[in-house]
Amino acid sequence: MATLNEKKTCSERMADFRRFVWNPETKLFMGRSLINWVWISLYYLAFYVVMSGLFALSIYCLMRTINPYEPDYQDQLKSPGVTLRPDVYGDRGLQIYYNVSDNKTWEGLVTTLHTFLTAYTPAAQHLNINCTNNTYFIQDTFDGPNKTKLSCKFTSDMLQNCSGITDPTFGFPEGKPCFIIKMNRIIKFYPGNGTAPRVNCTYVGEESRLLEVDYYPVNGTFNLHYFPYYGKKAQPSYSNPLVAVKFLNITRNVEFKIVCKIIGAGITFDNVHDPYEGKVEFKLKIED
Amino acid sequence: MNVGCHTSNFIHVPRSRQFGNKNFSSLMLCSLQFSVSLGMQDDHRLSTSDLEKKYGTSIDKGLSSARAAEILARDGPNALTPPKATPEIVKFLKQMIGGFSILLWIGTGFSWISFGIQLAQGVDSAFDNLYLGVVLALVVILTGIFAYYQEAKSTNIMASFSKMIPQQALVLRNAEKKEVPADQLVVGDIVEIKGGDRIPADIRLIFTQGCKVDNSSLTGESEPQSRSCDFTHENPLETRNIAFYSTTCVEGTATGIVINTGDRTIIGRIASLASGVGNEKTPIAIEIEHFVYLVAGVAISIGVLFFIISVSMRYKILDSIIFLIGIIVANVPEGLLATVTVSLSLTAKRMAKKNCLVKNLEAVETLGSTSIICSDKTGTLTQNRMTVAHLWFDNQIYSADTSEDQTTQPFDQSSPSWTALSKIVTLCNRAEFRPGQENLPIMKRVVVGDASETALLKFSEVILGDVMSIRAQNKKVAEIPFNSTNKFQLSIHETDDPHDKRFLLVMKGAPERILERCSTIMINGKEEPLDSEKAEAFQTAYMELGGMGERVLGFCHLYLPENEFPENFKFDTDSMNFPTSNLCFVGLLSMIDPPRSTVPDAVSKCRSAGIKVIMVTGDHPITAKAIAKSVGIISATSETVEDIAKRLNIPVEQVNRREATAAVVNGMELKDMSSEQLDEILREHSEIVFARTSPQQKLIIVEGCQRQGAVVAVTGDGVNDSPALKKADIGIAMGIAGSDAAKNAADMVLLDDNFASIVTGVEEGRLIFDNLKKTIAYTLTKNIAELCPFLIYIIASIPMPIGTITILFIDLGTDIIPSVALAYEKAESDIMNRRPRNKRKDRLVNEQLAVYSYLQIGIMQSVGAFVTYFTVYAEQGFLPSTLLGVRVDWESNAINDFEDSYGQQWTKYQRTYLQWTGYTAFFVSITIQQVADLIIRKTRRNSIFRQGLFRNKVIWVGIFSQIGIALILTYGLGHVTALNFTPLRFQYWFVAVPFAILIWVYDEIRKLLIRRYPGSWWDKNMYY
Repeated sequence: MATLNEKKTCSERMADFRRFVWNPETKLFMGRSLINWVWISLYYLAFYVVMSGLFALSIYCLMRTINPYEPDYQDQLKSPGVTLRPDVYGDRGLQIYYNVSDNKTWEGLVTTLHTFLTAYTPAAQHLNINCTNNTYFIQDTFDGPNKTKLSCKFTSDMLQNCSGITDPTFGFPEGKPCFIIKMNRIIKFYPGNGTAPRVNCTYVGEESRLLEVDYYPVNGTFNLHYFPYYGKKAQPSYSNPLVAVKFLNITRNVEFKIVCKIIGAGITFDNVHDPYEGKVEFKLKIED
Repeated sequence: MNVGCHTSNFIHVPRSRQFGNKNFSSLMLCSLQFSVSLGMQDDHRLSTSDLEKKYGTSIDKGLSSARAAEILARDGPNALTPPKATPEIVKFLKQMIGGFSILLWIGTGFSWISFGIQLAQGVDSAFDNLYLGVVLALVVILTGIFAYYQEAKSTNIMASFSKMIPQQALVLRNAEKKEVPADQLVVGDIVEIKGGDRIPADIRLIFTQGCKVDNSSLTGESEPQSRSCDFTHENPLETRNIAFYSTTCVEGTATGIVINTGDRTIIGRIASLASGVGNEKTPIAIEIEHFVYLVAGVAISIGVLFFIISVSMRYKILDSIIFLIGIIVANVPEGLLATVTVSLSLTAKRMAKKNCLVKNLEAVETLGSTSIICSDKTGTLTQNRMTVAHLWFDNQIYSADTSEDQTTQPFDQSSPSWTALSKIVTLCNRAEFRPGQENLPIMKRVVVGDASETALLKFSEVILGDVMSIRAQNKKVAEIPFNSTNKFQLSIHETDDPHDKRFLLVMKGAPERILERCSTIMINGKEEPLDSEKAEAFQTAYMELGGMGERVLGFCHLYLPENEFPENFKFDTDSMNFPTSNLCFVGLLSMIDPPRSTVPDAVSKCRSAGIKVIMVTGDHPITAKAIAKSVGIISATSETVEDIAKRLNIPVEQVNRREATAAVVNGMELKDMSSEQLDEILREHSEIVFARTSPQQKLIIVEGCQRQGAVVAVTGDGVNDSPALKKADIGIAMGIAGSDAAKNAADMVLLDDNFASIVTGVEEGRLIFDNLKKTIAYTLTKNIAELCPFLIYIIASIPMPIGTITILFIDLGTDIIPSVALAYEKAESDIMNRRPRNKRKDRLVNEQLAVYSYLQIGIMQSVGAFVTYFTVYAEQGFLPSTLLGVRVDWESNAINDFEDSYGQQWTKYQRTYLQWTGYTAFFVSITIQQVADLIIRKTRRNSIFRQGLFRNKVIWVGIFSQIGIALILTYGLGHVTALNFTPLRFQYWFVAVPFAILIWVYDEIRKLLIRRYPGSWWDKNMYY
């Protein structure tokens, strides 16, 4: 068979390519005349303008159907995630290692906590009201200014010994460090079914060893008046309630694995795929 | 048998050509001659005793068993060694690295490298890359196994087809005759052959009795040749005292000494030469290669471009590599090559049903792009049996029915001359039906006798009924069989009239010889003197019949006077004691091997399909031309140079050659032609017949056609055709008449030897080319919808819209059955009314196809899929504006309180699960829009409504399978986290529906404008 692909030398190929880019005889640029290029470009321009228009129109229609206060579905947010401060992540999740006698190892951790708590200073919380009821703070109407709903105040002093006010080092140099547990916000989530959910920290894998913990506020509860959350638009100044835990009897120079679960109806912590759902696990090692 | 001959798979094609040069034919012939003269220098010249000495054998006793075993051990069995087949493992490995596999291996390599790096860094998600690499490797291996299996299957068809029953040979050993398997024969064996046997080796004949052999498997000439013990020619190929391996003994018996066995036989040498010709790339292989280059080029350039972009956007190198893998996977249509193979084999199956057995899958399409068919005459264009075509009696020519299934003859049979003629035809004939075929149609019965006698026997059986009983009633008393010196055949019979005691002498033979012996001629049943006027009429009729390329026989008779030849007269055929002159001439019958009734139609189809049909035959030019005219290869109005010269009454040299559209070229002329002259003939004449050609010249003709840039299909049956069959773009061997060597060399076998089957093959080939275009267009489209997510992910840093594994589920899951379904699509218009595709211009994947699929429909699909993606995210809490630029935080394991547009906070896993929901939504949208894509790809020009939405049921199987697989993946496997599918809310299935409808409407408009404004800018840019 007369082979179609006769071997061409490199220079021939280059010449062919150059001829393809600009053919002086037929005045074709890349296989088309210039006017043809103009037409095809105009067509594609128009085509893409129309497609962009259609896309924009679709997104516009989508936005029209969206409720600005709350999402249509919360399929993934059945149970809140839990986070820890200070949050230092190692290869396998949270790892907090420090040396009591070496400032540099814990100053960063302390700064993280201070920074985190700046959102909870009385100044930062001045828009929020003081709440005293220990029940859900249900608001069916917009009572706040500018069509918003009210949020309850949570100030750092509620964390007492772990507020950073009485002890700016959060107990780190003494080996009795404070950690702050925060529960993720979920719109219209009623945790605890009427009883305030509380934090409970234990060792993992060493159930016989007793972990001595001070919880702030007392019992490590999240007061029910912080719930439900009505969303960013309704409660622009809302801030999550916090629970601080202070570990009192951590043996030095041993790495421990500690889990802090939030106990309360509606909060699950047994999702094998999600290590941060309803609980937070971390490794702690205090050296001296 | 040679099963490894055609092993090139379209995915990767042999790159080296052993015999790429144009001098191949001469080389081949030279070496054939050379080896012939070397191998059997003088065996045909030696006397019997010298031969005995040379081979250490004895004519009376044969070899001893021990000696035979010794020689067998030395020479090996008497069988052709199959050409070296590529080892199976090599074939398998080739499948693993051909086509897109390389790209996917690169992807696999990258995945594993990044797995290694991430593992060393202790990254949690490192194993994802390991799995991805494993999946990619599996994809390559599985598609490789599939392609290998397909190829093996198609080769197996051929292997089973060519398997022969072991042959036996009657051999003299230890002075005893015994049957041994033919492969046990050794040089020096004395073998006996008889009519009907296949010659078991090359044999020097030492005793013959009326032996005739059919050398057609060697030379292509089907006329039996007589064999004797005499040395008649210097050339061993021409001499009569050698019979060749694989030819058949037609009649008589012979004894001979085996002089060559196995590969050393003539046929063995030709076979080994032919298998030395490398296979050329088939047109479809070239097209697929072109397509693979195109897609690989796009994949690599986009991959590299975005690698650079992502590196310069400060992505980590490792991340950039992972993007690169995604881009490669998105760009490569993993399932496509398997789909193409399946489509081709489906067509091959369909063609097999229509009697075209395709050995090499790619040949399916090659047939469709054929622009020249070089066809044999005998058996392919014609029925391969002599049939009475015309009669001449009472000064008038009558035509007979020559169709395949004649049961009556329509011509006027009332004349008494016909009665006399029919009697001669019936009686002066030695042919007989084999017994036990009474229930078969006459035309199908097997006859013992030569071709002309068979024709006459069947002719008279059709008209008169039971010929055998007529012959029994007219008892034969004497007979002189036909011989070449007399050129007549004579027999003397008693009559069937009990009152008529005369003997009837009947004679047939060459018309001029018969006429010489006649003094009277029968007109309307009466004997009239044969004057010059009547002789003139005879001459005219004879010339006319002869001019139609027919074999003419004259018939005469004589009632012997009762007084001279009484009832008990002893006829002596040696002394001829009866008159053989002054007979009464009765009539002429002319016979021809008539064209198959389907052929003229097939030829005209070829003509309208722009395919040039060239007849190449060993027959006489007049016969060849007559058949060519009757089947339409030479159309009724066109003339050859000779015709014009005759009409204008001028010498041939003065004729303007350009006026002649037809040409009949004699093999002798061809011998002296330069290739330029041949090219000129092939170029200038549209209707060409090559007559009196040797099979070797066929090769030269094929090469000439290929020099014109044509895709050439060649039919052949003889062993000597095999080089031409191999040389052709598509070699077509005859299933019935073809020799094994020819079948081996061919790409396709015509099971019914019928030219018309080639044409149906061409139709199927063209259809599959069109349908493959549709399949590829369908498959390429979604590549953009798979690619865009990566590009936008890199540039806009949104959460990943679709996963690599998900893409593989589209490419190898939902899309496979629909793309095969397009192979069942009917032709849009009469594909046999357009010219064969120009293999340099009409590409399978052209610019328009790629651009329309990639930049128009593909973009629409992407928009549709992205709308779904944004809808899912927005309804779960992430509005589109929030998504831009979130990639780093979104993918961070350290952020477990990621805020959405409503102030809710998400852990990493919750986000990942949402991301998978996004994958699923994107996947579902692509699937839904691919349904629309599938429907629009049914046609390229016509409206879908004209093509019919429901005519191709397989398309609907495809659509349901597509949606079914998507449903299973989403809801059935939605909880298997490794697959990254989630049970999607049902309403998201419908988000892309408007875009699917848009695709359909847009494509209808495109087709409408193409039909409305042919040749316009739109047509040129939008028709693929």
